[in-house]
Amino acid sequence: MSGAHVEPLMQSRVARPVAPKNWRHPTLLAIFIGIVAATTWSWLYLDMTLLTLFGGLSDLGNLLAYMFPPIWDNFPEALRATIETIWMALIGTTLAVTLSIPLAFLAARNTTPHPIVFAVARAVITLTRAIPTLVLAAVFSISLGIGPFPGIIALGLHSIGMIGKLFTEAIENTDYAPREAVLSTGTGKWQTILSTIVPQISPSCIGTALYRLDINLRESAVLGFVGAGGVGFLIQTELRGIDYQRAISAVSVIFVTITLIEIVSTRLRASIIGDHLSMPKKLNARSQARVARDQRLINTAISTRRLTPPWVYERVLRTTAAATFVALLIAALITIEMPLLSAYKYGDDLVRSIGRLFPPNFTFAREEIIVGMLETTAIGFTATLLGLVLAIPFGILSARNIIIRRAVVSAARGILLLIRGLPELIVAVLFVAAMGLGPVPGTLALSLGTATFMAKLIGDALEEVQESPREGVSATGASRVQEFFSAVVPQALPNLVSQTLYMLDVNLRSSTVLGIVGGGGIGFLLLGSIRVLDEATVGAIIITIFVLVYAIELLGSFVRWMVE
Amino acid sequence: MQVSLPTRNAVANGADPLISLVGVSKRFPNGTLALDNVDLNIPRGQLLSLIGLSGSGKSTLMRHLNGLHRPTAGKVTVMGVEVSSASNRQLRGVRRNIGFVFQQFGLVGRATCLENVLTGALGRLSGPRYGVWSYPKKLRSEAFDHLERVGLVNQAYQRADTLSGGQMQRVAIARSLMQQPQIMLADEPVASLDPESSAQVLDLLLRVAVEEQMTVIVTLHQVELALGWATRIVGLRDGRVVLDRDATTLKQEDAMEVYQRVDKNLAQPSNIAQPSNIATEPAPLALREK
Repeated sequence: MSGAHVEPLMQSRVARPVAPKNWRHPTLLAIFIGIVAATTWSWLYLDMTLLTLFGGLSDLGNLLAYMFPPIWDNFPEALRATIETIWMALIGTTLAVTLSIPLAFLAARNTTPHPIVFAVARAVITLTRAIPTLVLAAVFSISLGIGPFPGIIALGLHSIGMIGKLFTEAIENTDYAPREAVLSTGTGKWQTILSTIVPQISPSCIGTALYRLDINLRESAVLGFVGAGGVGFLIQTELRGIDYQRAISAVSVIFVTITLIEIVSTRLRASIIGDHLSMPKKLNARSQARVARDQRLINTAISTRRLTPPWVYERVLRTTAAATFVALLIAALITIEMPLLSAYKYGDDLVRSIGRLFPPNFTFAREEIIVGMLETTAIGFTATLLGLVLAIPFGILSARNIIIRRAVVSAARGILLLIRGLPELIVAVLFVAAMGLGPVPGTLALSLGTATFMAKLIGDALEEVQESPREGVSATGASRVQEFFSAVVPQALPNLVSQTLYMLDVNLRSSTVLGIVGGGGIGFLLLGSIRVLDEATVGAIIITIFVLVYAIELLGSFVRWMVE
Repeated sequence: MQVSLPTRNAVANGADPLISLVGVSKRFPNGTLALDNVDLNIPRGQLLSLIGLSGSGKSTLMRHLNGLHRPTAGKVTVMGVEVSSASNRQLRGVRRNIGFVFQQFGLVGRATCLENVLTGALGRLSGPRYGVWSYPKKLRSEAFDHLERVGLVNQAYQRADTLSGGQMQRVAIARSLMQQPQIMLADEPVASLDPESSAQVLDLLLRVAVEEQMTVIVTLHQVELALGWATRIVGLRDGRVVLDRDATTLKQEDAMEVYQRVDKNLAQPSNIAQPSNIATEPAPLALREK
């Protein structure tokens, strides 16, 4: 018996297996080297040094010093503008959801009526994602005028890119069994879809919509920079007028609002998406009473054969949420004075304002476009690198399964939440005010935004790793740090690589609009061309942005596909 | 061991068959031949059990009966409608009269049992529906009756994913009853259930089938279960009908032949390497007398 064991071991020493040559490795390596080279070039192109970074910090300190003591006399105005910002985000998100629902059914492989419809719907979703909200708002404000409408429509159209994509994925992930079963009872296609697919996707779709509402609130806070309504205009005016002591009131109102709404919507999302079956059964006295009450209601309904569902807790909650949403939406539509009845007229204006971008003129401002795009690309890469460096420690500290001390985790998460409370572009405005015009303040602002977002993604990726390999490694006597590197990191790495690429993609989009607040890149030229109504150049810039963003997105999905 | 099939023609010679398959073959896009020239006639009121290994074509055959699959060759006729070439509208009409119970139940987990049962009435209604309130009260009351019949009326307002497997399958049966079907197809209805629930579900299925005078086809893995209630047993192997007998005259060993043949092949790899051997054998189980 033992002899039989020795033999193959001896053989294996002679013919040691060579690592198989996978064609993917060279390609991935080339992409990796390309990204490193691009980042290095970006760093040099922007003249970034560690000295600039720390110099920036002291400038920021000076700015904060100028802001104190704050003068609160424009607080009512800041509050009014912030409420307008909330309404804009709400209407914009509702618009996007309304448009995304039919689009997603046409773009999902399992519900699309025809391959051509499928391709067109996918293209629309990708196209809307590639053009930043602020750019859309700036373009629409040419024909719709200054005010919240162009902002709302820009929010609505751009959000289709994300909402439509996630809705489509939700539809494609549904279980086929109920659909086949209901189809077998002799139903039509849309009857089947409404009865079997819609109930399956509704929690995740509501979650997506709430998440997008969070993002849109941040977006609409800066739409004022291009005159498209909301609190952004106030902030910009005050900072331009070097009225720092007043600027702080508007900044703090929007900061508090965004943070509060994020806390509420995170709670709400967890309770909607969290399937009650998978939730830990924390049967405290309150929920016990609730369960008992629900059971009583159900029993009465059944014994009296009530033909309408009883008002159990979940139903009450759902109905209250829906009613609150409708009430808020109506309030928003009334406050903003949305011209719903003459919407067709605005549609016409929109189509015309898009039409004026064609034919695009690449030659008039060729030099500026090239320089602007190079700077935009450089900002995107540098901000991703800096953000990643900041995000890694925070991400690890915020993972509950890695860090044992709950206090550390809560502190890390709290800091991230607070930094997220200020939209990137508002941070950029502050940095520009402190450090002067140029790509460096823009890059720093973007890095900070990247860091918070990326830290959350890293934290989530770490929390998703399986426990058994960790136990296995720990059982061999490895230290906690060793165990982290050999059991946690390899599991989370593919996810992290694709998230980093996604971040690069997001940052390139964001850096196209930094120039609007003087933070460097193509945005400056874009805003300038819009101001002088040089629409042919605007068209050229938008197409260039689209090509860049789309190329990076394709690269990202290619790498994701390769690392599986 | 030989299994002859004297009863088959006798059965087929009865009244005008409710279901008839003539030379039905199905080749999937990936090249698998799931059904190979199947002929089968099923008269009204028959309780038929379809047995065979996984992959023998049972589920595919069932899905041809209500047009979820269309044959590559041959003709499927159900209640006078040629399903294999029917229009969508005709197909919906046929499906309305066929209850279909699936191995995986096919319930919408997040919806209540009542709502799941109500979807069985969609074929009678026009337009999409969402939520209990969107169905007429009369149908809601009817759905209650069906839940009562399967013994789950207390779970009417409970989410379907809170039930056990056996309970879910009973809700699925209630949904089929909601269609008031003439034919009941059940594809491995008890394959994911424990023995006790299996017995309960099969019992229920048969009781309602007899009460409503439905024609029933059930596919099963377990021969004992099939022999217990069916009036006719049809065995499939590699997409071909290899056994078709009156259940009362069929011994369990005979039925097991449908399975054992494959085991023999596994034991003798040479048989697998030369499939022509099987074809040239004196075809003990092959039932097509040409």
